[in-house]
Amino acid sequence: MSTEPFRNVCLLPQTNQLLGLYTIIRDRSTARPDFIFYSDRIIRLLVEEGLNHLPVMDRPVETHTNETFKGVGFKGKICGVSIVRAGESMEQGLRDCCRSVRIGKILIQRDEETALPKLFYEKLPEDIADRYVFLLDPMLATGGSAIMATDVLIKRGVKPERIFFLNLICSKEGIDNYHKAFPDVKIVTGAIDRGLNEDKYLVPGLGDFGDRYYCI
Amino acid sequence: MVKVGYESRAVDCHRYIDSVEPRFFSYMTNPESDMPEPSRRRSSIEAKRYIPPWTTPYIIGVGGTSGSGKTSVASKIVSSMNVPWTVLVSMDNFYKPLNKEQRAQAFNNSYDFDEPAAIDMDLAYECILNLKEGKKTNIPVYSFVHHNRTPGKSTTIYGASVVVLEGIYALHDKRLLDLMDLKIYVDADLDVCLARRLTRDIVSRGRDLPGCIDQWERFVKPNAVKYVKPTMQNADAIIPSMGDNGVAVQLLINHIESKLELKSEEHIKELIKLGFEQNYESMKKNKMVHELESTNQVKSIMTMLLDKRLNRDDFVFYFDRLAMILLSKTIDNLASPNKKNIVTASGYSMERLTVCDFNEVTAVNIIRSGDCFMSSLRKTIPNISIGKLLIQSDSQTGEPQLHAEFLPDNVNEYKKVLLMEGQLISGAAMIMAIQVLLDHDVRIENISVVMYLATETGLKRVMNAFNNRVNIYVASIVTREELKNRKSNWALTRFVDAKYFGCE
Repeated sequence: MSTEPFRNVCLLPQTNQLLGLYTIIRDRSTARPDFIFYSDRIIRLLVEEGLNHLPVMDRPVETHTNETFKGVGFKGKICGVSIVRAGESMEQGLRDCCRSVRIGKILIQRDEETALPKLFYEKLPEDIADRYVFLLDPMLATGGSAIMATDVLIKRGVKPERIFFLNLICSKEGIDNYHKAFPDVKIVTGAIDRGLNEDKYLVPGLGDFGDRYYCI
Repeated sequence: MVKVGYESRAVDCHRYIDSVEPRFFSYMTNPESDMPEPSRRRSSIEAKRYIPPWTTPYIIGVGGTSGSGKTSVASKIVSSMNVPWTVLVSMDNFYKPLNKEQRAQAFNNSYDFDEPAAIDMDLAYECILNLKEGKKTNIPVYSFVHHNRTPGKSTTIYGASVVVLEGIYALHDKRLLDLMDLKIYVDADLDVCLARRLTRDIVSRGRDLPGCIDQWERFVKPNAVKYVKPTMQNADAIIPSMGDNGVAVQLLINHIESKLELKSEEHIKELIKLGFEQNYESMKKNKMVHELESTNQVKSIMTMLLDKRLNRDDFVFYFDRLAMILLSKTIDNLASPNKKNIVTASGYSMERLTVCDFNEVTAVNIIRSGDCFMSSLRKTIPNISIGKLLIQSDSQTGEPQLHAEFLPDNVNEYKKVLLMEGQLISGAAMIMAIQVLLDHDVRIENISVVMYLATETGLKRVMNAFNNRVNIYVASIVTREELKNRKSNWALTRFVDAKYFGCE
């Protein structure tokens, strides 16, 4: 049983266009060029949505006609943190919106002996505690690695309410697991799948995102 | 002036190119198209309240006997008109195709080309009516080598403000006469006509004297007396064609110009009027105008774009970002009626999924500011076909004029035609652009206008002109109230394309 309706989950509006994009990337017969292009389209929408949640302050500017326009500007700095390897596929989408954004990396892999996720590597901006953080990982299945990555961020002093976890698909189970650990982190996603199979893969899912994007 | 095969009486339709300022024109020979368009659909007409200048173009008929000098009068009129598109159409294009027997007669000089029955008056009427209604019209091309219409070839005319129809029987058919605004008969004594014909046929066309005389005696003269001369009574003006008729022609030109000025004034008045009907609230309520939700993202990008200190690099970057948000919004509802069953890469079946066919979308950019969307269009739908329209305002009257149209092939078959424009200020160019699409049989509900900025007045004009039936997607609307407070005059200057392209 999930805790629907979810708190702190921002699901992109399920428009025809978005549903159509998901149809393409879920389909196993979609070739890699299309998979990459249409995944990137969705990632762009996720990033734009994530950025929308950042706070703004008044910022008057002078127009070319020398009038004052009462506008707004973002306050605070941001950074991205991708979970290697699949999360790196979302970096370009973030860069397309914020050109010189700093991007940290976290590598978490399953320990062959204990079968639990283990942190292998982290490289984060020094002042990450002062920043809004976009945590990037395309799939939220059990939530194991995302929880571990978020833990790293919080230990570095990032406030949970300043973290936005961006992914393309999550499972209800994953959302619940993740929010049990970090109720204040906002999840921004485009699709919520019905569950997980015995191998802890999303159902119906789209396969291994990293493999399909990178094919290494 | 361009004259294509005029002397051989093959293709007599051309456009006048302004000698001072190069103008583009939509004049093309389309090898694919068949003879005159059968479609006489008026679906677009019932819905619209805007009359573009090419609907009811000024139509001038120039008739007279063979050799009377009507061609030179018609040419003088065409070359002195200072409107974007003036078209000269020769009645020769409407000769009936000959059967085998007639063709043999023709090659034998014994076919009567000079009687009214040789001309397909129905077709001529159909074409001129089409032009009068402002529709894209295909004029057939008649080949005097084969005595037949050149198969698969026609001249496409669209957007003419003035049409000059010239030919011996230009003033013969009652239906054609009813379409004409000015009927001119060029009169010359038959002796003079004969002398001119002989010179032309022998010197320019290498024919022999006895043959020419024979043709004159058998066909040209009797028909001239019997059928052509009487059309003189249908004329508004009779121009003498003995020696110099410069003064007479100039008088006519002055008259035509004053009529066109009047038309142009009415066009502008009509455009202004469109902005004052219906109030802003009701327009926003009708759900055809979609303004981007003013999220933090949208607001902050708007702020940056309006900051005069923002450098061009950043301007282009942020404009493209906003453009992608806007475009994505525009195609949000795109869905094919077909559903699709798939198997995901993890091996699970999914049934009846929504499918978007992005190939059903095409775009038309209004030059120049619509081109600011080029990069974001390509990033949203990489292989989208993109048409262009050039519409500019006359520097003196402010009247918008269509100078060029390059539309995607079969533009009417797309489910969605995005009409891209950077800024809507008066709305005049946009109204004209929408009309161009309607004239190409694009259904009004398939058109989505996509704009960065729009003024309330401009929007109202567009909505009123097409009875609130056009979908409009705009990043930001500047209301009349905001303009009245004189704090938003930036919305009245064309700064977007100037800054995006870096040329004032």
